[in-house]
Amino acid sequence: MIDDLLARAGRAGAQAGDAMLRHAETTTLTFEAGRLKAGTVTAERGVNLRVLVDGRVGVAGSTAADPTAVVDAALESARLGETVALTFPEAGPLPAVRTESPATRDASLDALESMGRQLVERLAGEGRQVGITVERETGETRVVNTTGREAAYATTQVAVVAEVTRVAHDDVLIVYDYHLAVDLPAPDELDRLAADIARRLTEAASVVDPPEGALPVVFTPHGLAAVLLPIEQGLHGKAVLQGVSPLADKTGEQVFDPAVTLVDDPLTDGAPASRPVDDEGVASRRLRLIEAGVVRSFVYDLETATRTGCASTGHGARGIFGKPRASYTNLRLESGDRQRADLLAGVRDGLVVDELIGVGQGNVASGAFSHPVALAYRVTNGEVVGRVKDAAVAGNSFELLARVGGVSSEQRWLGTRQLPWVLLEGVSVSAR
Amino acid sequence: MLDRLLDALSRARGDYVEIRAERTWSTTVQYRGRRLETASTSDNEGGAVRVLNRGHGWGSASFNDLDDLSGMLARADELSRAIRLDEPIRLAEVPPQHADVKPDLDGDVRGVTLHEKKSFLEALNAVMLAVDDRVVDTQASYGDEITEHYYVNSDGTQLVETRPQVTLSALATARAGDSIERGLESLGLRCGWHAMQNREAMFQAAAERAVQLLDAPTVRGGAYPVVLDPRLAGVFVHEAFGHLSEADFVYENPQARKMMTLGRRFGGDVLTIGDDGSAAGLRGTLPFDDEGTPTRNTVLVDRGVLVGRLHSRETAAAMGEQPTGNARAISYRHPPIVRMTNTYIGPGSGTFEDLIGDIPLGVYACDAFGGQTYLENFSFTAAYGRMIRDGELAELVKNVVLAGNLFQTLDRIERVAADFQWHQMGGGCGKRGQFPLPVTEGAPHVRIEEALIGGERA
Repeated sequence: MIDDLLARAGRAGAQAGDAMLRHAETTTLTFEAGRLKAGTVTAERGVNLRVLVDGRVGVAGSTAADPTAVVDAALESARLGETVALTFPEAGPLPAVRTESPATRDASLDALESMGRQLVERLAGEGRQVGITVERETGETRVVNTTGREAAYATTQVAVVAEVTRVAHDDVLIVYDYHLAVDLPAPDELDRLAADIARRLTEAASVVDPPEGALPVVFTPHGLAAVLLPIEQGLHGKAVLQGVSPLADKTGEQVFDPAVTLVDDPLTDGAPASRPVDDEGVASRRLRLIEAGVVRSFVYDLETATRTGCASTGHGARGIFGKPRASYTNLRLESGDRQRADLLAGVRDGLVVDELIGVGQGNVASGAFSHPVALAYRVTNGEVVGRVKDAAVAGNSFELLARVGGVSSEQRWLGTRQLPWVLLEGVSVSAR
Repeated sequence: MLDRLLDALSRARGDYVEIRAERTWSTTVQYRGRRLETASTSDNEGGAVRVLNRGHGWGSASFNDLDDLSGMLARADELSRAIRLDEPIRLAEVPPQHADVKPDLDGDVRGVTLHEKKSFLEALNAVMLAVDDRVVDTQASYGDEITEHYYVNSDGTQLVETRPQVTLSALATARAGDSIERGLESLGLRCGWHAMQNREAMFQAAAERAVQLLDAPTVRGGAYPVVLDPRLAGVFVHEAFGHLSEADFVYENPQARKMMTLGRRFGGDVLTIGDDGSAAGLRGTLPFDDEGTPTRNTVLVDRGVLVGRLHSRETAAAMGEQPTGNARAISYRHPPIVRMTNTYIGPGSGTFEDLIGDIPLGVYACDAFGGQTYLENFSFTAAYGRMIRDGELAELVKNVVLAGNLFQTLDRIERVAADFQWHQMGGGCGKRGQFPLPVTEGAPHVRIEEALIGGERA
């Protein structure tokens, strides 16, 4: 069908173009208060078309059964579009990566339900409200262009999300965790998910006063999101192009601690964001963004790369509507040489930060962050002594990651991220 | 279309059945820096069905292909029957509604060319770029949409609605060396083309703010008396109390129900909070929610005392309360869940000057980059702040993020001014993967006796 759209666009005056077709079907089971209450199936289909007319670029999307109107819409968009000398990728071999699992695709409703039930049983307890969602998606993506690239691949994905809310008088604690992968979680993976949540609930059983001042803080993989966000924005090709990346002119420089190595990897078998090709037909490859603290590369889509004067890194991502933009795939902060327990052991007085509130709502580009804690623990003489509430942590990611206290040898997947535990020194902690 | 839905409904299995169908025409124009990012039109259509059988769970389906309504209804029915429940789901009674709603669009956006929309935004983007050389990057966005919305259910409700929406947003980034700051202004209305005109001041303000913040110091962390401007007070009430008022959090949780017992005191006499989905002319306003329940004004806190909460038909039945018209879905891709509409802190008395006059050292926190809640604890991020020194506004400060606690922060609201205003912002609210839901927030200036601001201590 999309080949036909490109042909139509060509007849209507487009000199070049590319298109993406995506189908997905999702089955979701929702457990509320420990019982299965709803089942949902979602069938989605849509096409996104980009054309070049006299050097100008235009884009349009449609979910209509007959999407031929998208050709006119894309041409109209191109008449107003900016000029850009896009060169679409040519036909060629693609790397092999596993993006689907027959077991996930064929899993019965009963099999999905039993995963949810297993978690409900493991997490139930006095005063706890257990919410579970089990979601299985099967999809197909097809990308074609006018220079002969034609790529298609099937995907499966399963997300198991567990959230426990514990209300005791006026104390509310929410702990959540999730599994996201191409494959169904093995029973021991679900056990680990439940055990992780249970451990956090136990460690948060008593509330202690927060410490204050510039302190050592261990960020868990969950808690690390706020710290990594400015780095992710700074390494984004669009930020470089627009002149708002503090890292743009620092390629080859030792900006971060040697313990910091960041890799984007779309070629890990079975990882949630893996794919052989990006949404613009560029072959996937591993990309070292930061190597031992040295800035190595940025992520680009076709247009941003063309305008910046470099090549796409294969990070083009597009939805049904709107134009392609650069997006990370599986992002990995490499593990370090310290054991997680060892990181804690060295903290005389500080925090473990597991969840912050309002991440992404501050002035991210500058590197500054400031957030109240949703879930954090006080550490005294190397031991977790209880949960702290009504405290806020603040700092600047660029400064904090320039002198890292330690990176754990343990790592875990969290959605499309693979992250260790990181000890940072001198994080501002304030309390009432 | 309505006939197609009614026909499918008449042949559907299930004790309760509802069908939604939508067709949305939309336009997006975006400028980034000096370049047009995109100017594009889209056509999005789809439907959603929900089925409930007695003693069973909800079965639902959403899809693009409206030609297969019967097949989707059968799948939803099958899903419902596959789920057994000892305690049945009940739905509160809502009298059948019939309406064909065609609001005054104030300039149908479908009658304006893409070229005209592009030129319109280009001029506004240029306003930001002209403010100062240090404005290195901009993001100017214009969006419009017209949704034709159809809804029928087996209780006899039949609705046809045109839902218009226009949004405009101005984000300016200023830079001096490694110092990078931004200014944001946004607007969202349920109107059309004419309502968007003459918005240069908004773009000017965004760029000026970004430049001013370059030289502003970061606020020192600690506990301060804080005065919130009406915009941030609106975000505050949305995060601090609005989400907790959504009955889907409490209705199946005995401890949460106890914590949120009607009649409990949450604040002083100065504090009145409500949610009004029927308020005229606001972005969160619609005549009916996405279960066909008429919207209304629901008072949540009356002079400090909890008196109401927000319901869907299911949560209302479970708690023995009235449905409030707060079951909303962002599109056919999602089932309706309990959401806010236009949430407010009611006006008090006195002026802004009265609020700051006797504060020796405090923070005036203004406008919002966002907010998020974990129910008891929440954040609200101001766009900027001014220190209050000896009862007067002093220097501009940046990175003002407030840490709130439901039980402490509301109770510490000691003064509420009379200068109430709605803030018709763009963006929207997110919950359970449904974002951005059009909502409005409204408040006057509000003074909190003491609130925690994150940052390095003085």
